[in-house]
Amino acid sequence: MVNENLVKDVVKEPYKYGFVTDIETEKIEKGLNEDIIKLISQKKEEPKFLLDFRLKAFKKWQKMKEPDWAALGYKKIDYQDIIYYSAPKQKEKISSLDEVDPKLLETFDKLGIPLTEQKKLTNVAVDAVFDSVSIATTFREELAEHGVIFCSISEAVKNHADLIEKYLGTVVPASDNYFAALNSAVFSDGSFVYIPKGVTCPMDLSSYFRINSGDSGQFERTLIIAEESSSVSYLEGCTAPMFDTNTLHAAVVELIALDDASIKYSTVQNWYAGDEQGIGGIFNFVTKRGKCLGKRSKISWSQVETGSAITWKYPSCLLLGEESVGEFYSVALTNNLQQADTGTKMIHIGPKTKSTIVSKGISAGNSKNSYRGLVKMGTKATGSRNYSQCDSMLIGNQASANTFPYIKSQQPNSEIEHEASTCRISEDQLFYLQSRGIEFEEAVSMMVSGFCRDVFNQLPMEFAAEADKLLALKLEGSVG
Amino acid sequence: MEIIEKIKNNKLDDNLTEIQKICLHKLQSSPLPNPKSELWRLSNKSKLSTFLDYSVNGKDSKFDLPYPKTSQSNIRLIIGENCQIKLIEKNYSIQQLSEDELQKYIKEQISFFKHNENWGDLLNLSLSRKNDILGLKLNGSKIPPIEIFSHASSNSLKAKTLVIFLEKNCDVELLQVNLGKENSSLSQSTFFCLKENSSVNHGLVSYGENRSNLLNSLNVIQQKNSAYNLGSLHFKFNYARFEISIKQSAGNAKTNIKGMQITKKDEQISTYTKIEFNGPNGFLDQINKSLADDKSHAIFEGSIIVPKIAQKTDASQLSRNLLLSNLAQIDTKPQLEIIADDVKCKHGATISQLNEEELFYMRTRGITLTEASKLQLSSYFQEIISFIPISKDKWDLLDKLLNEN
Repeated sequence: MVNENLVKDVVKEPYKYGFVTDIETEKIEKGLNEDIIKLISQKKEEPKFLLDFRLKAFKKWQKMKEPDWAALGYKKIDYQDIIYYSAPKQKEKISSLDEVDPKLLETFDKLGIPLTEQKKLTNVAVDAVFDSVSIATTFREELAEHGVIFCSISEAVKNHADLIEKYLGTVVPASDNYFAALNSAVFSDGSFVYIPKGVTCPMDLSSYFRINSGDSGQFERTLIIAEESSSVSYLEGCTAPMFDTNTLHAAVVELIALDDASIKYSTVQNWYAGDEQGIGGIFNFVTKRGKCLGKRSKISWSQVETGSAITWKYPSCLLLGEESVGEFYSVALTNNLQQADTGTKMIHIGPKTKSTIVSKGISAGNSKNSYRGLVKMGTKATGSRNYSQCDSMLIGNQASANTFPYIKSQQPNSEIEHEASTCRISEDQLFYLQSRGIEFEEAVSMMVSGFCRDVFNQLPMEFAAEADKLLALKLEGSVG
Repeated sequence: MEIIEKIKNNKLDDNLTEIQKICLHKLQSSPLPNPKSELWRLSNKSKLSTFLDYSVNGKDSKFDLPYPKTSQSNIRLIIGENCQIKLIEKNYSIQQLSEDELQKYIKEQISFFKHNENWGDLLNLSLSRKNDILGLKLNGSKIPPIEIFSHASSNSLKAKTLVIFLEKNCDVELLQVNLGKENSSLSQSTFFCLKENSSVNHGLVSYGENRSNLLNSLNVIQQKNSAYNLGSLHFKFNYARFEISIKQSAGNAKTNIKGMQITKKDEQISTYTKIEFNGPNGFLDQINKSLADDKSHAIFEGSIIVPKIAQKTDASQLSRNLLLSNLAQIDTKPQLEIIADDVKCKHGATISQLNEEELFYMRTRGITLTEASKLQLSSYFQEIISFIPISKDKWDLLDKLLNEN
C-alpha cells in the first residue's frame, strides 16, 4: 500500500514565483463601462476601428451570460471590482533596454527570463508583458532582417494597423463566448507576430506574461500570422504573485496559417494556484484558436498547465485548408483545490484534414481535472482523420478525473478514433523502482514524467526541460 | 401537444392513481425537458413534439405478435392485456407484486428522479393507468424464459410500465419486446431490482413501423453479487430515445451491456446511459453500436460515475459507429467521472465506414458488392444479436435487419 501521507508530502511544493515587485504603477479606477473602454483605447492611442471593435464587443458582452457548463465551481466574479488597466510607470518611449526600470528587469531576471544583453545569447526572442503592458521585446532588429515582425500588439496597432484590421477577430470573433467578448472589449496588450512568405523564423519567439498587482485583471491578446510557406515556433510562459484574492485572466490567442505554413504554439502555464485551502489564485479563462486557412497548413498546440485556481481553456483548430493538420498535446496537473476544465476542439471542414489529440491529466490532492474535447467532421471533410487519446492519472483518493469527449461526424468517408483510460501510480512499478534503490520521490517523479513523455516530446527543447522540472517540483517537494 | 396542455391544467383524468398525481405534480410547472440541457440538446424538438401529439385516450386495438408462440414452456405476457399470473412450482415462483409493494417501490424511485434525467419516467408514470403497470416478483432458479410485450396502437400515445423484482439467488432469461405501430407513440419505463446473487439475461428489442415513436427508459438497481446482462436493439423508429440508468448499490456486481441502434431515412434514435458504482469491486463491460444511413441521426451518450467509495472498479465502455451516408450524422460522447484512485476505467469511440480492404478482398473472391457489404454488416450486427436471449432461434432478427429494414 502506498503511504498516503508520503504521497501528500511529495505533492507539496511552495510556489516560487509568488513574490510581488514593488513598483509604482499607473492604474485606472475599478469597474467596467463604456468610458473605461474609451479611456483604455485613448491611453493606447488607438485608431477608431479598434475603439469601435471594443465597444461593439462590450455591447455583446453585456447581453451574454457567463457559461456554466464546465465542471468548475468558483465564487461569482464581480466584473465591476476589477481594474482593467494597470501599467508600471515609465518614461514615455523606450528606445533601448537601458531605459527600462531596473526593478522590472530584475523581476524578469528572477523569473529566469532573458531580457538583458548578456543573457540574450539563448537565441529566443522574448516579449515581456507586465500587467497590462509590454515592457520589452528582444532581438527585434535581427528578426526584422528576415522580415519577421515581432512586437507588442499595441505597437502593431500603431505601425501595422492594416494587418490588425484585416485579421483581428477573424478567428475568435468578439461574440464567440463570454470571456472572448470581455477580452475584445478591454484587452490591453499582448504579442503580435507576422512571418512573411517563405520565411522560416530564425529563432523561437516567446512571450512572458506576469501579473503583478492583485486587483487588476490581465487581458492580453496574441495574434500570429504565418504567410505562405512560412514557419514559426512560439512559446508562452506565465506567472503571478501570491495574493489572497482571485485575479482574473481572460486572454485570446488567434493563429492564422496560410498555404504550407506551420505554427507551433507552446505554453507552460504556471499562474499562482492558490494555497492549500484554495484561497487566492488566478482564474484563467482563455480562448485560443487557430485557423488553418491554407492548403497543407499546420497548427500545433502543446501545453503544460500546472497553475491557476481555475483553468478554462480549449485551444482549438479550424481545419479549412485541404490536407491541413491540427495537433494538440497537453499535460494538465492539478493539486490541492485546483480545478481544470481543459481540452481542445478539432473542427474538420476541408477535405483530407488530419488531427491528433494527446491529453494527459494528473490530479492530486482535492483537485478536479476534466478533459473536454470536441471532434467534428463537417460534410465536406472527405478522407479526414482524427485520433484522440486522453489518459488520466489519479494520485490520492480525493482527486477527481473526468473525460467528456464530444464526437460528431457528418462525413462517412472519414475516421474518428478516441480512447481514454484512467490509472494511478502502480504499486508494482513503484515497488520495482524502489527495490532497485530509487527513492520513493524520485520513483513517483519518474513515473509521472514517463506518463507525460508523449507530450514532452512535442515541446521545444528549452520548454521540455522546464516542463519536466516544473512537474517534478510540483510533485517532489524539496527532495530530489 | 394536447397532452402537455392537459398536464399543465391538471386535466388528465378523473380517476388518477396516487403515483400519477405525484408525477403530474412534478411535471406541472415545467411539463417539457429543458431543450438546452446536455441530455436533450441533440434531441430533435419537432420529433419530440410529434411524439406528444397523439391522443392518450385511444383504445388498444388487437395486438399482432411478431412471431408465433412455439414453445409451451415460455411464459408470454402482454402489458395492458393478459397480465394475470401466479405460478408457484417446486424450484421457482412467479407472482405479481401486490399493490402496496408496487406503490412503495415506485414512490421510492420517484424520490430520486431529476427533471431532465427522468422526464421520460415522469411522463410514463403520469400516463400509465393501473392496467398498464405490470409488477412481477421472481424467485428461484430454472424459471422458464419470460417474454413481455408492450405496444401502442396506431394514432395513439400509450404508456406501459414494468417492474421486476429478482429475489435472492434467482436467475432468469427475459425478453422484452416493444412494438411500435404506424403513427404511434409508446412510452415504456422498466424498473429492475436485482437482489443479492441474482442474475438476469435481459433482451430488449424495440421494433418500430412507419412513423412510430418510442421513449424507452430502463432503471436497474443491482445489489451485491448480482449480474445484469442486457442485449438491446432499436430500429425502425421515426424517433426513439433509450435511457438506461444502472446503479450498483453496493458494488461487487457485474454489468454487461451490448446495445445497437440502426437509423435510416430521417429517423433519430438516441441512447443515453448512466452507470453509477456505489461500492467497491464493480464491473462493467459496455459496447454500443450505431449505424446511420440516409438522412438519419444516431446519438450515443454514456457516462460512468465512479465515486470515492468505488475502489477497484473495472469499467470499460466502447462506442462503435458506422456512418454510411453523406447526409446522415452521428454524435457520440462517452464520459468518465472518476474520484476513486484504484480503478481501471477506459472508454473508446470510433466513427468510420465499412472497411474497404475487406470489401475488396471479398470482391476479388467473386462476391458481389451488395453481398460483401451484407456479410460485413451481419458480422457487425451478430455480436449484439447473439447476446439477446430467447429470440435467437425464433425470431430471425439478423434477417430482419439485413433485408427488411
